[in-house]
Amino acid sequence: MLELRDLSYTYAPGTAYEAQALEKVSLCVQAGEFVGIMGRTGCGKSTLIQLVAGLITPTGGQILLDGEDINDRHYDRNVLRRKVGVVFQFPEIQLFEKTVARDLAFGLKQFNWTAEKKTACIREALERLDFDYDRIKDKSPLGFSGGEKRRLAIAGVLAARPEILILDEPVAGLDPLGRDAFLKLLDELNRDGVTILMISHSADALAEHAGRIVVLKDGRLLRDGPTEVVFSDCAGLQAEGIGVGQVREVTERLRRRGVELPLNTVRYEQLLDALAGRESL
Amino acid sequence: MNRLPAGLYQPGDSRLHRLDALSKILCLIILLIAVVNTTTIPGYAVLALLTGFLIRLSGIRPPDALHSATRLGWFFLIILLMNLCFYEPEHPWFSWWIFRPSTEGLMQGVNVVARVFLLLVLSNLLTITTAPLAMTEAMERILTPLRILGVPTDLVAMILSIAIQFIPTLLEETDNIRKAQTARGARFDSRKLTEKANAVLSLVIPIFLAAFKRADELSLAMEARGYRTDVKRSRKKYAPLQSRDWLSMGLCTALAVAYVVLK
Repeated sequence: MLELRDLSYTYAPGTAYEAQALEKVSLCVQAGEFVGIMGRTGCGKSTLIQLVAGLITPTGGQILLDGEDINDRHYDRNVLRRKVGVVFQFPEIQLFEKTVARDLAFGLKQFNWTAEKKTACIREALERLDFDYDRIKDKSPLGFSGGEKRRLAIAGVLAARPEILILDEPVAGLDPLGRDAFLKLLDELNRDGVTILMISHSADALAEHAGRIVVLKDGRLLRDGPTEVVFSDCAGLQAEGIGVGQVREVTERLRRRGVELPLNTVRYEQLLDALAGRESL
Repeated sequence: MNRLPAGLYQPGDSRLHRLDALSKILCLIILLIAVVNTTTIPGYAVLALLTGFLIRLSGIRPPDALHSATRLGWFFLIILLMNLCFYEPEHPWFSWWIFRPSTEGLMQGVNVVARVFLLLVLSNLLTITTAPLAMTEAMERILTPLRILGVPTDLVAMILSIAIQFIPTLLEETDNIRKAQTARGARFDSRKLTEKANAVLSLVIPIFLAAFKRADELSLAMEARGYRTDVKRSRKKYAPLQSRDWLSMGLCTALAVAYVVLK
């Protein structure tokens, strides 16, 4: 369980560059949730995940991971690194080793796993991302195409088998097929019990996959609730410059033309079901 | 990590900020002439007072203005002690093993430390109060006379301004990569040398790759916008120096001349 208590972060306090990135954000994420984090550029999304990943220290408030404060002096950061995996924006930049296998093993060095377990995890991670382990393990990771490099980098994070997976805009720049395959993979991981926090501007992707939506504005929590509930306030979110996804938008327009549809229609299948149900009546 | 890097430009509207970058650079060079032409405590004291006055004038918080020098505190202390103990003096206070402390040694140490300190603080003050682009522009103007000697000053200025413009970008990129690798388990703060070396390697290789990629993209973008080195480029008209610029350069020159003469 991940709990944020009154989390605040001020960038470069006391200088001309001072900026309040987060202000008193409280949030509680249960194991196994799939949370979508939305907000306009500069609203504090990236700061939030950097705080949770323990990469920067909050200027106020606490982050509790399974009940332990990760910024406590006595907290073992290795536990945090093991439990939390982070896929940053454009993760392909983090590839650097001579071979794919070595690059994926980089994140596992800190674990006291046997060589067999490490290889098995690397193999599994690569296969989850549609790579053939035996064929590519000795190739240079830098020789792959942009989309493949991104998948390799993500495999590198997955190989460590994180309990919580944080992703910052992971589908930006992927082609439609790659995007769908990746989102499906996230669903699979989520079903296997991995908690997922995903930042995205794509309301469509979040509407389909996330069970809960958190919206930030100017470093404060604007909305937090089940996807259906948050997206039901179509006008309110759009006024803040935040999309609600095409399905929800189509529903809203149909409702305005007198078609009776439930407000909580956010997924494609839900919309189709609702429409099909009406036809048969 | 919440501390800004020393010498980073801090926007402001002080008298020092408003001075033309060209005159600020020239003033710095002239003041440095004064710094290296004194060997006496009063000489340094006057320059230190002047530096303090300039910091007040700039409106920069003293810790920020002095940060580039104060973070070298240990280095200064060691230099001072080494000079004190190992200078080859004629009249040591006493002689014990290899140590021969003396007044001359102490003075030599003070000289080195005071000079480096003043040099760091003054140049730091220049970069804190001058926007990077104003600085490269001023560099170009200072270099212009070299054109007579066939030096391609346009190119030098272009290289300088590109280099300076990309510092923040590369710093940001470095920060991103460092965070990504830390999240993957790289231990930059490890005490074990192999772990640390591995972490640094995971940072250096991606930075180089990113820098080369950027260079490639930038050169393409420049060519696409018609940048060529084999034709004469149009020139920008610079605002003339104001009386405050001439005044400050005059005062600095007078001070430097006084130091050279008194030496």
